[in-house]
Amino acid sequence: MAVANTQPVAASRAVEARKRRQREEELLVWPDLVFIEFISAVLFTVLIVVLSVLVDAILLDRANPAVTPNPSKAPWYFLNLQELLLHMHPALAGVIVPTIALIALGAIPYYDNTTEGQGEWFSTVRAKLNAYVGAAVGTVGTLLLILFDDAQHAKLYEKLFNGSDTPPTVTVQVEEGGKVIDKIVKNPDFNEFPIAFLRNARAIQNEIPWPKSWTKVPLGDKLIRTDLLGLPRISLNINIPGLLVEQIIPVTMMIGLPIVLSIVAWKTKIAQTKRDHMILQFSGFIAVYVTLTIVGTYIRGEGLALVPYTIFAGDH
Amino acid sequence: MAATESPERRSMGDRVYDAIFSNRVWRSIFRSGYPNTPRNQMLAVATNVFLHLHPTRIHRTHVKITHTFCLGGLSFFLFLGLTISGVLLMFYYVPSVDRAYEDILALETDVRFGQLMRNMHRWMAHGMVLTVLMHMMRVFYTGAYKPPREFNWVIGVVLLVLTLLLSFTGYLLPWDQLALWAITVGTNMVGSAPLLGEPNRFVLVGGFQVGQAALIRFYTLHVIGLPLMAAVFMTVHFWRIRRDGGLARPL
Repeated sequence: MAVANTQPVAASRAVEARKRRQREEELLVWPDLVFIEFISAVLFTVLIVVLSVLVDAILLDRANPAVTPNPSKAPWYFLNLQELLLHMHPALAGVIVPTIALIALGAIPYYDNTTEGQGEWFSTVRAKLNAYVGAAVGTVGTLLLILFDDAQHAKLYEKLFNGSDTPPTVTVQVEEGGKVIDKIVKNPDFNEFPIAFLRNARAIQNEIPWPKSWTKVPLGDKLIRTDLLGLPRISLNINIPGLLVEQIIPVTMMIGLPIVLSIVAWKTKIAQTKRDHMILQFSGFIAVYVTLTIVGTYIRGEGLALVPYTIFAGDH
Repeated sequence: MAATESPERRSMGDRVYDAIFSNRVWRSIFRSGYPNTPRNQMLAVATNVFLHLHPTRIHRTHVKITHTFCLGGLSFFLFLGLTISGVLLMFYYVPSVDRAYEDILALETDVRFGQLMRNMHRWMAHGMVLTVLMHMMRVFYTGAYKPPREFNWVIGVVLLVLTLLLSFTGYLLPWDQLALWAITVGTNMVGSAPLLGEPNRFVLVGGFQVGQAALIRFYTLHVIGLPLMAAVFMTVHFWRIRRDGGLARPL
């Protein structure tokens, strides 16, 4: 019978190595699979209709380019990138990181090309362990980094070492140009977080007395001498502290932390094979993705500060 | 007794059965007999253009719901549902900044089942992003990307991107504040890319800010460009599942 031949011509070693199918382990697609597909299609049609009857799709006011809502947010599946945008250079968060992430995702099978552990959930020995470790480290690590960049540790310190009667700023009256005006200054009694440059990532740029010359390194004049080739000069000024905070530190974190995770997992024998490391990294990636999405969706409110937020709040 | 039975004495059920399944019209449509024997059941799958995406027989473990949770199939199902509801929505929607928002309002108030249709389209769109992501996780954790299925995983990543782009382009169409500013934030991210970012953003938005040019671009991409691309990649995706020997099995 012509229809019986469903096996493709052996395309690679993996296909050849497989044992010939045994007839008693097989089912007919009609009715066994077609039935399941039909039932789930019916179920989900009903589910979608019921959901659509109960919950209306959101529609706000007519689009108005003159009124910027606060906060303005991308669609939910891009809020992970919008969250990254708060912590690093926009080119990095908006384009370079997602591009590299997608390429890395596509490259998974070319790195992990072993044939073990196919066709069953978590079928290798340490699969589940690595999935749990990756997911836990990804979630906790992401949350800690977000809290750090929001200066939550500094705010906690200041809360603990200051009574409720010591505000961080006080209003004093000063005479300026013959007039007495109110001026908001730092409260001298207020216990500030002592390590100012570790308040958040940006503080590394602002709180360290970098040499003035470092903030404006004229690369165009010294390094990239396009004028020697008869081209116009490029006036490219590099702000080294800015570069450090917006690009070097985030890139180091995003590449370094996964490597550290893999090295630790390898030394502690949690991850031993390629598949183990792949599960560890993939689970970590998914956890970071989900955490960033949830934070970006539900706890980025007005001014993108860390406050609870839903799209329905304040609208209609 | 048996000898006295003649064809005219057949039961009512038999005669109805024959009238439906043995007449020339039915046989001209379905070449295989009624699928009540293994042979006809296999022929039913193999000779039907829609069902022949499947093999005729599959491994026992692959019909277990917990093996796949139907996620790939659900993504395809949602794509089909989105196509149908999307075509219906196109009857009532004009992609013009002057009319788009009013068309949506009219859809919600004047058009019979208009609100339901829009709701279904929206929830299926969100659902499809979720099922595609979960399908990717299912394939990863069942190790189904391993040789010889490497390239089908890559096609899957392309389909994930297309799904996100389909959803993103659809996001602008209601032309409300949510749509405008979400697309403004999203396209500004594209614009921040080094060197090619700003030109790319300009091409995508058709100007310096999201307006009529952006709306017609997003609409065209949403209703024809991206769905066609997705259909092409889906064809390859499904074809390769069959070519690579069906779902992955333990060696």
